[in-house]
Amino acid sequence: MLDAGVLEEGRCKAVFINYEHENNVYNVTIERKDKYYFITYNNTEYKVEAEELKPGQLKIKIGDRIIKSVITEGEKDKYVFVDGNVFKVKPVELTGARKTKKKEEGSLNSPISGRVVSVKVKEGDDVKKDDVLMVIEAMKMEYLIRAPFDGKIEKVNFKEKDQIEIGQNTVEIKKK
Amino acid sequence: MDIIESSIDTSSKEFRENFKHYESLVNDLKKNIAIAQKGGGEEKIKLHKSRNKMLARERIDALLDPDTPFMEFNPLAAYDMYDNKAPCAGIITGIGLIHGREVVIVANDATVTGGTYYPMTVKKHLRAQEIAMENNLPCIYLVDSGGAFLPMQDEVFPDREHFGRIFYNQAVMSSMNIPQISAVMGSCTAGGAYVPAMSDETIIVKGTGTIFLGGPPLVKAATGEEVTAEDLGGADTHCRESGVSDHYAHDDQEAIHITRNIVENLNRPRKTHLDIHEPEEPLYDIKEMYGIIPKDSRKPFEIREIIARIVDGSKFHEFKTLYGQTIVCGFARIMGYPVGILANNGVLFSESALKGTHFIEMCCQRKIPLVFLQNITGFMVGRKYEAGGIAKDGAKMVSAVATANVPKFTVIIAGSFGAGNYGMCGRAYGPRQLWMWPNARISVMGGEQAANVLLTVKRDQLWRKGKELTKEEEKKITKPILTKYEKEGNPYYSTARIWDDGIIDPVDTRMVLGLGISASLNASIPDWKPGIFRM
Repeated sequence: MLDAGVLEEGRCKAVFINYEHENNVYNVTIERKDKYYFITYNNTEYKVEAEELKPGQLKIKIGDRIIKSVITEGEKDKYVFVDGNVFKVKPVELTGARKTKKKEEGSLNSPISGRVVSVKVKEGDDVKKDDVLMVIEAMKMEYLIRAPFDGKIEKVNFKEKDQIEIGQNTVEIKKK
Repeated sequence: MDIIESSIDTSSKEFRENFKHYESLVNDLKKNIAIAQKGGGEEKIKLHKSRNKMLARERIDALLDPDTPFMEFNPLAAYDMYDNKAPCAGIITGIGLIHGREVVIVANDATVTGGTYYPMTVKKHLRAQEIAMENNLPCIYLVDSGGAFLPMQDEVFPDREHFGRIFYNQAVMSSMNIPQISAVMGSCTAGGAYVPAMSDETIIVKGTGTIFLGGPPLVKAATGEEVTAEDLGGADTHCRESGVSDHYAHDDQEAIHITRNIVENLNRPRKTHLDIHEPEEPLYDIKEMYGIIPKDSRKPFEIREIIARIVDGSKFHEFKTLYGQTIVCGFARIMGYPVGILANNGVLFSESALKGTHFIEMCCQRKIPLVFLQNITGFMVGRKYEAGGIAKDGAKMVSAVATANVPKFTVIIAGSFGAGNYGMCGRAYGPRQLWMWPNARISVMGGEQAANVLLTVKRDQLWRKGKELTKEEEKKITKPILTKYEKEGNPYYSTARIWDDGIIDPVDTRMVLGLGISASLNASIPDWKPGIFRM
């Protein structure tokens, strides 16, 4: 169950893991110091030594007890074999973890119906990611159309003072 | 809950420029508040103190529990009005703690035109009473006022929301078991005499406190009787003979001590219990908000970056992230209290309005206080949107906001224009408190739009007569309108007229909201009864 990959060598780092097993969620905190893992579960801390004998095979020492365990990975779940028992566990989404927001690639379509107030590029221009290509004004606000990637301008579909509708393509870029 | 991930580049040129600009706005704000807090100025303060009286702010400090915050309302009321002769509108109001219980304090500042009531003084006094009534908070009046400001009697005396309403409110609140307590620490003449007389319990200070319907000069003129002020309406007269006052104090300090004793014995348990957690600071530096708000108000900004710097631990459980994206709704905690947040992230479309309505319904059902972060240039206009029924979808949101009876709090963080102001709980929709940031702008529409509308109307009129406007004439029409909108849309213009409860430094937003929610727990939250939604 100890995913050595998430623990950094040589320093103490807390990792919060939630595992689901038979519809129960187990809340576990793991910290590593030198060769020991400190596992907190249910307000009790366990000092654990663990060694990966070969990939998927662990030797775990808790106090005087030594446990050998084999972990195999299914598509979503992990199967943990301990002392002849099999536990099916699956990690659940971490609470309190930072949500990794995939920054969406900027769109070249107009976000709003409005008026084109300025066009910053012409056909054949090279642009870098995040360069401003066009400025659209609507409802007292200015909306900037930015290049979603590096590229070359193939076509500019609107000129200054043109009326533009929501969703219309402003500029066509060939990706570099 | 998930943590909002910030993607602000604090080293960018834009950020640094915004930051610098915003810092200057905040410095101006602090400077203006400091000036207003000086009241009537050095000379008047000296005179006031020579009479063995404490200043209004000193009285409040002494009255409140030590080291507890005083949430002051409208410190810039009457700013740039009445030739700047009424700083703070001559009255200090706010919520503070006495023996751990929240109370509303209304203190006259006698250094400002003898504590007399200008129109804005009346409005500020009434607003404080309204806050007390909505939140079920006892009222403490530290009275030191010459009554109505006579030269402006037509603007302070006759109307519904004028001087008389103060005493009306006292009677109504007393009947609602909201204690009314007065400490008379100066004069209390004519109408003003009703403040202590209408109170549940009253204290008067020997030597400086006087209560009478007509002062010595008026008595002499009316009946010829010659009498001193102290003999006519002093502490001895009212505590020993008339019974107008209940408690006798030898000085301001003692009056404050007695007031605290009164509050200690009020027996006021809280009415509402929320699921409260230990408060947590946001994960990100709150001050970064200065750099996030664009210097140019026409530039949009990512509202989640602001939410991340207001809510506990920057944790936010967002609702309908992918739908109606121009409004961001979600649950979070502020200073440990659960809140539902509605925040603008662009123009309101039908979908955004429906999403907002759904979210408000949930908060009302679950009795979770609502926080509106208002930055709205309006509901989307145009043929396509009208045909799509934006008016009825907007109406649903406005109706939900109006009937929502959980405590509502509004912070205008940038623009507040048109019907967007209604949908996002503007002043008319009864938020318990409404605060503005110093960069905010508020008007029925943008100045440029108003100028263009009026220009078009004029042009059409002339066209019918076969005439046309020259460029010069056009400018003559639009320029004064632009100037007017710029002046009146300014937050200082708003706060001077008490369209809000004050301008705040964005970094104080968390604290102000926390105090507001805490105060709101003194009142119970009734079950929600919505109106009819036009489908």
